[in-house]
Amino acid sequence: MKIQVVGPGCPRCQATEKNVFNACAELGIDADISHVYDVKEFAKLGVKLTPAVVVDGKVVVSGKIPTVEELKSIFSELKK
Amino acid sequence: MIKELFLAGLIALKDYIATHVFTCLVPAFLLAGGIVTFINREEILEILGEKAKKIKSFTLASLSSFFLAACSCTVIPVSSGLYYAGAGVGVAFIILWVAPASNILALIYTGNILGPKIVISRIVSALLMAFVVGYVMTIFFGRERGEVFQTSERRERRKIISRIELILLFLILLSLLMPNYIVRRGSYIYKVLVWLFFTLIVIIYSLKMIPKNKIKDWLRETWFFVKIIFPLLLLGVFVVGIIGKLLPENWVRSWLGGNGIFASFLATMIGAISYFATMTEAPFVDTLIKLGMGKGPALALLLTGPGLSLPNWLAIARVFGIKKALVYVPTIVILGTLVGWFFGNFIF
Repeated sequence: MKIQVVGPGCPRCQATEKNVFNACAELGIDADISHVYDVKEFAKLGVKLTPAVVVDGKVVVSGKIPTVEELKSIFSELKK
Repeated sequence: MIKELFLAGLIALKDYIATHVFTCLVPAFLLAGGIVTFINREEILEILGEKAKKIKSFTLASLSSFFLAACSCTVIPVSSGLYYAGAGVGVAFIILWVAPASNILALIYTGNILGPKIVISRIVSALLMAFVVGYVMTIFFGRERGEVFQTSERRERRKIISRIELILLFLILLSLLMPNYIVRRGSYIYKVLVWLFFTLIVIIYSLKMIPKNKIKDWLRETWFFVKIIFPLLLLGVFVVGIIGKLLPENWVRSWLGGNGIFASFLATMIGAISYFATMTEAPFVDTLIKLGMGKGPALALLLTGPGLSLPNWLAIARVFGIKKALVYVPTIVILGTLVGWFFGNFIF
C-alpha cells in the first residue's frame, strides 16, 4: 500500500505524518510512506486542503489532522 | 540596560496575559477550531473552482477567505490548489491576499487591542484591495492558461454547514463579543463574568446538540491552534515590549507619524518585508501607535504585515512563477500605501 502525506511542511502536516507512521506501526502494515511537500503536486493528487492523506492515489483525509484511531480504521478498511 | 529591556518585555507580557486570555484568546481559538471542524471548506473550494461570472466569483472568494485559513501557512496551498484545479488567476490571488490580511483570528484580536473602528477599516480595505488585486492579476495573466490538472469530477452538492453547528459558531462569537460590548468600564473581572456566562451557554448547547466525536474533533483542532500560535504570540508580545522600549519616540513620530503618503509607504514596506506570525502584528502596531505612529500608516502595516513577507514572496514566486510575484507584490505595496494614506486623511 502506498501512503502519501500531503502538506507544505506546516506543524499540522507534521502531526499528520506522525499519526500515519504510528497507525501503520500499530496495524503492522508494511506501507510505502512518503511526504509530498511540493505545492504544485497537491492539485495533481486532487488535494485541495492540507494536511491530507492519499492512499494508492485516493484522497482519504483532507483538511484536518486525523487521529491514529481514524487512520487505523481507514487503512484496515482499504486493506480488505 | 539589558535588565531594563528584559523587564519591559515581561511587563508587556503581564499586561497582555491579564487582559486578553479569557475574553479574547480562548473564544477566538474555539471559534477558529470550530470553523475548521464544522464548515465544509471543500465545498466552498468546489464552488470557487467553477467558472462563475467575475464579479460573483471575486465576491465569493473575498468573503470565504475569512473562513478558509486561520493560519497563514495554509494559504499558499489552498490558493495554488484552486489555481491549478482551474479557478481564475484573480480568484487565487484574492484568497492569497485576503485570508492572511483579515483572517478571523487576527481580526478579533485587532478589535480587542485597537478598537472596532480600525477593525472595520481593516476589513473594508482588505476587501477593496482584494478586488483590485484580482482585477490586476486577471488583466495581466487572465489569458495565459498554463497547466490545469482537472482532477475533481462533479459531485453532488453537500451542505457547507448544518444549522445546528452554525448556531454553535454564533454562540461562540457571542461569548467573544459580549464581554467587551456589555462591560464598557469597570474592573476586568466583570468582563470575565460575562464571558463565563456565555461560555456556559456554549458548553450546555454543545453537550446537548453536538455529537461527542464532533466535540472531540473541535477541541482537538482548537488545542492545535493554541499549541502553534500561542507560544509565537507570547514571544511576539515580549519582543514588541522590548522594541517599544528601544525605539526612540521622536524617531517613530518623524518617520511614521501623521498620515502623509511617505509614512504610509514606509509602514507598508515594513509590513511587506518582515514576517509577522498571525496576530503578532496587532500588539506591534499598538506599541507603534503609542509611540506616535499615525492611524493611516497603522492600518497599512496591519494589512501588509501578516499578508506579505520576504519568505512569502519567494514562496509565491516558486509556486505561481516569478512574473506573477513581480506583479502581485508591487500591486499590494502600491495599494497598501494608498489605502493607508486615504483612510488616514479621510476616514479616521
